[in-house]
Amino acid sequence: MPAQIEARSASFRLTPDRYVPALFLAFLLVLPYLLPNPFYVHIVVMMAIYVMLGGAWNILSGYAGQLSLGHAAFFGTGAYVSTLLVNHYGISPWITLWFGGAAALALSLPIGFICFRLQGPYFTIATIGLAEALRLLVLHFREITNGAQGLTVPFKGNAPWLLQFDSKMPYYYIALALAAGVLLVTWRMERSRLGHYLVAIGQNQDAAEALGIDSTRAKARALMLSAFLMGLGGVFYAQYTYVIDPDGAFGLGLSIQVALVAIVGGVGTILGPAIGAVILEFFIQSTQILLAGQYAGLELMVYGGLLVAVILWRPRGVYSWFERMYTRILSWLPSFGRTRA
Amino acid sequence: MELSTFLQALITGILMAGIYALVATGLTLIFGVVRIVNFAHGEFVMLGMYVTFWLWKLWGLDPYVSLLITMPLLFCFGVLIQRFLFQPILRAPDLAQIFMTVGLSVILMNVALFLFTADFRSVKVPYGEWAWRLGGVTVLLPRLFAFLGALLLAGVLTLFLTKTDIGKALRAVAQDREVSMLLGINPNRMYLLAVGLGAALAGAAGGLIVPFFYVFPTVGVVFVLIAFVVVILGTLGSVQGALLASLIVGVAESLGILFAGSDLGLVVVFGILVASLIFRPSGLMGSR
Amino acid sequence: MSRNVLLEVEGLSKHFGGVQAVRDLSFQVQAGEILGVIGPNGSGKTTTFHLITGFHRPDRGHVRFNGEEITGLPPHAVCARGLCRTFQVAKPFPDISVRRNVLMGALLRRPDPTDAAGRADEVLRRVGLESRADMAAGSLTTIDQRRLEVARALATEPKLLLLDETMAGLNATEVVEAIKLISTLREQGLTVIVVEHVMRAVMSLSDRLVVLDQGARIAEGAPKEVVENPRVIEAYLGKEYRRA
Repeated sequence: MPAQIEARSASFRLTPDRYVPALFLAFLLVLPYLLPNPFYVHIVVMMAIYVMLGGAWNILSGYAGQLSLGHAAFFGTGAYVSTLLVNHYGISPWITLWFGGAAALALSLPIGFICFRLQGPYFTIATIGLAEALRLLVLHFREITNGAQGLTVPFKGNAPWLLQFDSKMPYYYIALALAAGVLLVTWRMERSRLGHYLVAIGQNQDAAEALGIDSTRAKARALMLSAFLMGLGGVFYAQYTYVIDPDGAFGLGLSIQVALVAIVGGVGTILGPAIGAVILEFFIQSTQILLAGQYAGLELMVYGGLLVAVILWRPRGVYSWFERMYTRILSWLPSFGRTRA
Repeated sequence: MELSTFLQALITGILMAGIYALVATGLTLIFGVVRIVNFAHGEFVMLGMYVTFWLWKLWGLDPYVSLLITMPLLFCFGVLIQRFLFQPILRAPDLAQIFMTVGLSVILMNVALFLFTADFRSVKVPYGEWAWRLGGVTVLLPRLFAFLGALLLAGVLTLFLTKTDIGKALRAVAQDREVSMLLGINPNRMYLLAVGLGAALAGAAGGLIVPFFYVFPTVGVVFVLIAFVVVILGTLGSVQGALLASLIVGVAESLGILFAGSDLGLVVVFGILVASLIFRPSGLMGSR
Repeated sequence: MSRNVLLEVEGLSKHFGGVQAVRDLSFQVQAGEILGVIGPNGSGKTTTFHLITGFHRPDRGHVRFNGEEITGLPPHAVCARGLCRTFQVAKPFPDISVRRNVLMGALLRRPDPTDAAGRADEVLRRVGLESRADMAAGSLTTIDQRRLEVARALATEPKLLLLDETMAGLNATEVVEAIKLISTLREQGLTVIVVEHVMRAVMSLSDRLVVLDQGARIAEGAPKEVVENPRVIEAYLGKEYRRA
């Protein structure tokens, strides 16, 4: 009889590390309804988008240390391919979403093939250059891409099958789902053989090769995944903002922002991009409010400054600090449920 | 297309190659000694251009004369950058290096944008339109002067590196930091010198092209990307390689502009990089 | 008793700039033996390793493993075929744990990380690192880093292991331990090539020795014979010590 009592009482125990994430998830689900006006919903949608983009970047650059500053190329490709398909053929964005991702993935093959022949900073500059070259090409072929004016998604009001909604709420939930998806993919990848191999390559590529790791192939696969997710982000962004242009979609500014999200939050971790996205979007909104968009270049100057500051003082990002805080807070919280006598 | 048009583009390309070689040399100098791939290098060019422009605009100083001011100014700037921004991250991983220099690049570009606006600036000098006409080909003299100026500076630099003690010390640090320390060379001083010199050369390149090139805040990006292609194509560390590569790149860009359009020059240059990485990954001077 | 040739090096040559690092080198390694490769500094021992394992491409010559031509294959392909090496200067994955370091090697033959983790733990025990399994590899002592090098290589389940100066800088006790470990490897069916300077170790371990000098093979045979070989003595000590 004592054994039975023990079995029953050991089965139900609600510890902070279980209910806090669950509460947070619930919070995320009701968040839009808690916010006073659509502007704030817009902010959290942007946060979710940045989680997605930063998370996508993190897969290759965070884990394997191959720092790409040309990821905008994948974002822009997804956005443009999808929008062109929607505009010219009337295909539903729910479908062109995957075309956009696939196009970005296809692009990652030649880009990886070229860039992986270079190491370290040279790899990074090559990615910058290739994204720049793509931007120039998109600007150039204006019969297809409408050049510097960019593309617009024709506004159809509330049309869910065209991924257009009256209110911001549905966008929020889709963005949340996409962001969660990216984090989930990161989690699966991290635990897989590829995930381990990427870390090894990032630590010491020669040693990794000597252990049988085909570093080029591993990097290529990570890049494909990263590019695909980035492309999805581009499609969603196009649908959300209705307007895309070469400078915004393929520009170095975007590539830097995306990298910054992961760096500030913590590269090579699952939740790093999520933390970084929240911080960065907060930062962006604050600077926009403070500077009121008055001075050209001031905003970007601040990003540059942020980049430099982070590198000088917190190159690993805030993740470890966050983790410590979180663990400490958890330890203060009570647990529920029956305990053994 | 007429032969003369083709020759025109060829000559323009060759003349521009001198400038690209100068910028690439500064980049290589910094990388060779300090081991930092300076993505902000294009901004040194841009700053050189703006200094030259404002000296002309405010005090009527001739661009070539103002080199005497531009170069020392950029030298000091380079020294400051090394001391306060590069020095702390010398031992840091690649990520720090890249993002520091990219961040610096963004800051400088946007400071220029903020201070000087995005307006395209240009200088009007009496010799700005001088040209030699040979057959159907027009050689714009300012371009020729820029080429000769670049050549001169490269020559002076070579003499400095090979004939003076400091120059040799610089090369020693580039070759082997530890051993040069044993020889009593202070590497930190050499780093300051290297970045200062690299910046001065880039600034000079900027000053030399102001008579025929528009000045605007983002002008530097193209230069650093092209310089980077030159360095890779020419094989990291090879001087002859860099010279040959800058010729190829200069001509390719020029011909690319001729055939594909003025907005695709950079695309052609990057096409060269792609081809080189595929067919000759270790560069022109490397063994396959 | 049939002896089969596991590794065959034939006519290997490599130059760097003006220096001929390896010249026309040929030797064979029999399955199950421990081959020692010795020679004065700069004789091309490590370069030979690089050439065999794909870190450098030979100018001329062939490398055959298990009858299969592996000349010029990239390092990961060489390792995948069962030929694994350690590095003279240890290259740990510094920021991750010792266990995870070894896991990286185990994943080659066992793609499932859980399965690989089991193999990793097993190897850690064999090599004596299990007590430090959770430490960051970068914080290990030199000798432990050497152990880690060996452990990682072992985790890939190689048929042939190339150990590059594993014993450099070890004290007497550590050398004895290392010799014991390498001997047990041979008992478990592994073939080993050992590049060493620590004479005592290489003499007691090796079944045969190959002696290099300035990139060429100058002697080959049982340790006792090779050591008496005048050319070998000359290479190490200079002409004055050549016995008449």
